[in-house]
Amino acid sequence: MEKSTENNSKQNFLKEGLKGGISKHHKKYLGTTIPEGYFAKSKMSILNKLKEESKIEAPKKQLVFWMQPQFKYIAAACLIFILSLTVWLQHINKPASINETNFELFAFSDDVLLESLLIDESEVEAFVDATLFNEVLVKVELSEQKLDNFILDNLILGDSLLDDYIYEGLIETIVL
Amino acid sequence: MSEDADLVKKLQNPTLKDTAFSALLDAYQERLYWHIRKIVTTHENADDVLQNTFIRVYKSIQKFEGKSSLHTWMYRIAYNESMRFLEKNKKKRYDNIDEFSESHLEVLFEDAYFDGDEIQLKLQEIINGFTEKQQRIFQLKYFDDLSFRKISEILEVSESTLKSTYYTTVKIIEEKIFL
Repeated sequence: MEKSTENNSKQNFLKEGLKGGISKHHKKYLGTTIPEGYFAKSKMSILNKLKEESKIEAPKKQLVFWMQPQFKYIAAACLIFILSLTVWLQHINKPASINETNFELFAFSDDVLLESLLIDESEVEAFVDATLFNEVLVKVELSEQKLDNFILDNLILGDSLLDDYIYEGLIETIVL
Repeated sequence: MSEDADLVKKLQNPTLKDTAFSALLDAYQERLYWHIRKIVTTHENADDVLQNTFIRVYKSIQKFEGKSSLHTWMYRIAYNESMRFLEKNKKKRYDNIDEFSESHLEVLFEDAYFDGDEIQLKLQEIINGFTEKQQRIFQLKYFDDLSFRKISEILEVSESTLKSTYYTTVKIIEEKIFL
């Protein structure tokens, strides 16, 4: 009798399947249990954890805000605009300075003469004035200054040599 | 199935996400808990892994493309989270896998939420003696009552292999349980 009961239980074991709740099934076959009201508490705990995580992530979003595509493009466009403005302003100033210095750089040559045909008379006059000033007046002034310096140097040098000679000659005459 | 599809739509909609997630917890929390508990042994460990699983589900739901059912997808996440947990703890506490296997029953005895009798303990011992894959197949089929098709998707094993493995494990259990 006892053996037939054992055989029956052998045959029935694992053939009942999942009856009732899954927790009851586990308790029945594996002896594993859970604390009372665990799933309700666990649910609250998971939802709270998610809320906490979203709160932690929120400040990160603010940091990323400035790196969002639309702001990145605006920042890049501003940077490019500022750079191009700087370059443009530099180019605007350059031609004026070239015009001013052009006359000073020119020399009396065939090129200048040919160019003078294509330039307005007023500009040619300005060129002539500038060249006259540079080439003639300044050079004359400089050469005059050099001449003055030369004369002065010679005078000073001549005097000092004469003095030395007189002084040494006098001593020699006296001693010897 | 259509209920799951509706739930996924709501979960992927930012305005309805939180409400839908609460419904998802109600529907799957218990099943996933027991799935995890059988892998990580104790209630405390299962609680940790369950939280991590649902947080991962919440964060990854936008990537869910519906190639498998929501049910299967969540089981896979739970399985992966459990394995990750075991790997982490194994490195901390055990030098090799045999040592870990032996300790499964010790850990089970230490768990405050285990009050099994002789037969239940014997079943735990027999299951513990199976290979890792055999254990998962038997547990998913017998305790979680999943179809072979779903188990095949979760464990990425062919259905024919699953069936033969399952019936082999059942036979072994039936032979050993009353010895």
